[in-house]
Amino acid sequence: MTQTIKLANKASLLARCFPESWAEPLFKSQSRVVKTHKTMAEMPGPSTLSFLTDLFCKKGLSRLHELQMESKAKYGPIWKASFGPILTVNVADPSLIEQVLRQEGKHPIRSDLSSWKDYRVSRGHSYGLLTAEGEEWQKIRSILGKHMLKPKEVEAYTGTLNEVVSDLIGRLEHQRNLHEQRVVKDVAGEFYKFGLEGISSVLFESRIGCLEPKVPKETETFISSINTMFVMTLLTMAMPKILHRIFPKPWQKFCESWDYMFAFAKGHIDKRMAEISEKISHGEKVEGKYLTYYLAQEKLSMKSIYGNVTELLLAGVDTISSTLSWSLYELSRHPQVQANLYKEIMATMKDNPIPTAADVAKMPLLKAVMKETLRLYPVIPSNARVISDRDIQVGDYLIPKKTLISLCQYATSRDEKYFSNPNSFQPERWLHKEDSHHPYASIPFGFGKRSCVGRRIAELEVYLALARILMHFEVKPAQEGHAVKPMTRTLLVPEKEISLQFLSR
Amino acid sequence: MATSSAVNLLLRAAVASCHRLPSTFRGVARLGSPGRFFHASAPARLSSEDKITVHFITRDGDKLTAQGKVGDSLLDVVVNNNLDIDGFGACEGTLACSTCHLIFEEDVFKKLDAITDEELDMLDLAYGLTETSRLGCQICLQRSLNNMVVRVPESSADVRQSVDIGKNP
Repeated sequence: MTQTIKLANKASLLARCFPESWAEPLFKSQSRVVKTHKTMAEMPGPSTLSFLTDLFCKKGLSRLHELQMESKAKYGPIWKASFGPILTVNVADPSLIEQVLRQEGKHPIRSDLSSWKDYRVSRGHSYGLLTAEGEEWQKIRSILGKHMLKPKEVEAYTGTLNEVVSDLIGRLEHQRNLHEQRVVKDVAGEFYKFGLEGISSVLFESRIGCLEPKVPKETETFISSINTMFVMTLLTMAMPKILHRIFPKPWQKFCESWDYMFAFAKGHIDKRMAEISEKISHGEKVEGKYLTYYLAQEKLSMKSIYGNVTELLLAGVDTISSTLSWSLYELSRHPQVQANLYKEIMATMKDNPIPTAADVAKMPLLKAVMKETLRLYPVIPSNARVISDRDIQVGDYLIPKKTLISLCQYATSRDEKYFSNPNSFQPERWLHKEDSHHPYASIPFGFGKRSCVGRRIAELEVYLALARILMHFEVKPAQEGHAVKPMTRTLLVPEKEISLQFLSR
Repeated sequence: MATSSAVNLLLRAAVASCHRLPSTFRGVARLGSPGRFFHASAPARLSSEDKITVHFITRDGDKLTAQGKVGDSLLDVVVNNNLDIDGFGACEGTLACSTCHLIFEEDVFKKLDAITDEELDMLDLAYGLTETSRLGCQICLQRSLNNMVVRVPESSADVRQSVDIGKNP
C-alpha cells in the first residue's frame, strides 16, 4: 500500500505530535513533504515460533515486562509479535503512545480481552466497566466517573477509608508482634486484605472482616481466585482455541475463579439489599454513601450491577496491594527518603493523629513517592488500544483498524532517555522535572476517557495508608540486601514475598 | 427477590433518604442526577446581572459568545450552550483527560483559583500547552471573569486533518 502525505506549515506542532523519526525532515522543508507509509509487512518483530518459544519455554509469560525492553532494544520503538492467535503491534516510545491515545476516538476500546468476555457470554453475566464497549460502556463510565473520579466526591470517602486504615495499622501491629524482630512476612498478602476491605467499604459501606486477626475463609478464597484468574488470563489468551480442547484445565480454572468472584459480589450486594428492605419495612430511614447504592439509583439492571461490582472489587485489590508493597519496599531501602517523608508528614499533621484528604494534598513528597513507585512498578505493565473503525498512522506505519496495539509503559517508564538512572528510586525527580521529562513516558493509570476509573480513590487510599503507616512505624528491610524483582501475572506483582521490619516510632 | 422489585426498592429508598440526609450528603446525592437538576434550586434568585459572559475563540478563529452562572465551570458553559467545539470535555469533567484545555489572557489567568496537583498532572498531558493554559472543567465562573476571552487550542486532530492523505501521488 503506497500513500503519500502533503503537509501544511505545521512543523512546530508536529514535533510534539509525531516522533522525531519523521518530524525531522519537516523542519528542513516546511512547505511540502512527500513521505511513504510503511505497511505492517515491513514492521520488524520476532517470528511466531521464536516468540512462542520465549513465552512458553523461557518463562516468558511472567517476564513479559522484560521482553518489552529486550524487544525494544532489538527492533526499535515499534514492532509486531503474535501473542498466541492475536497479532499485536507493540509501541514503546512516549511520543508514539501519545499518538495512539490521541486517535482513540469516542468510545475507546482497551482490548478485546476475549477470554473475559467469552466467560461472561458463556455464563449469561452482564459486562462491567472493564469488559463493556460502545454505548453500553459510555453509560456505565458516565455514572461511575461521576462518583469515583471527581475530587470532591472522592474526598467524601475519606472517613470510610480511614476506618479501614485504622484496622490495617492494628493488623500490622498484630502481625509484627508474632515475630521477635517485629517482621511482617509477605506484606503484599496483608495489603491484599487491606485492598479488598477498602474497596468493599467503598462499594457496600460495610466491613467484611479481612483485617481481623482471623481472616474469613471466603476472603482468602476470593483473593486466591483473583490470582488464579490473572494467571489463567494470559495463558488462555495465548493458547490457540484448538489447544483448549486438548488442555481444558486452564479454561476450567479460569471459569471457576470468575464463578467464585461473581458469587462473592452477588452475596454482598444481595445482603445489602435485604438490609435496606428490612429497614424500609420497619419505617426506618435509609442513608447511603456507597457505590452500589448509587448504581441502583441510576436504574442499572441488577445483572449490570453484579457485573460492575465484581469487576470493581477485583480491580481494587492487586492495584492497591502492589503499590503499597513496592512503596514500602523502596522506602525501607532508602532510609533518607523515608526520613524526609516522615518529616513532611509530621510537619503537616503536628499533633493530629489521622490524616485527611486535605492533609495529604499538602504532602508533595508523598505524591512523588507514589508516582516514582508506579514508574518503576506500573501495576499494568502494558496498556492496550484497539481502533475499530479506521486505520491510524503511528510513527512511520499505517496500522490497520482492529489491530491490537500494545502500549509498553514498563519499557518507557524505565527508559534512560526520559529518566536519568531509570532503575533507581528517586521520588525527588517528580518535584523538579528533568529536561528530558516526557509527559507520556509514565502514565500508570492510562490517560483519557478509558483511563483507570478508580484512580482517585486508589490515590487517596494509598496516601492515607502510607502516611499513617509511616506515622506509626519506621520500616526497614527484614534482611539487608534481600532484593525482590517484579513479575508479570497479567498485572505486575512482586516475584517473591516482601517481608519488612516495622519498628515503633 | 425479583430483580425489578429490588431496583424499585432501592430507588424508593434513595429518594426517601435524599430529604433526610445532611446537606453535605444531599449535594452528593443530587449530583447523581443530571447536572442541570443540581443547579435547578438556585436560578430563581438569579437575575440577568448574575450571568457571566464568556467569549471563546475557536480553532478556526471564530468567536463564540455564551453565558453562564457564577459557579458554573467553563465546561458547563460549553455543554449547556451546545457550543460546537469538537472533542471538548471527553471525560465529562472527571479530570481524566485534557480535552477541555483552554488558553487564557495573562491578566485573566492571574485571577483564576490556584491549580491543584491533579489538574496540573492532566494539563501536562495536554496538546499545545502554554504558560496560561488551564482545564475548562476546573475553572468556575466568578464576577471578575465577566467578558473574558478564552482560546481553544489547536488539537492534534487539526494537525492530522492538514495532512492530506491521497492514494498515488
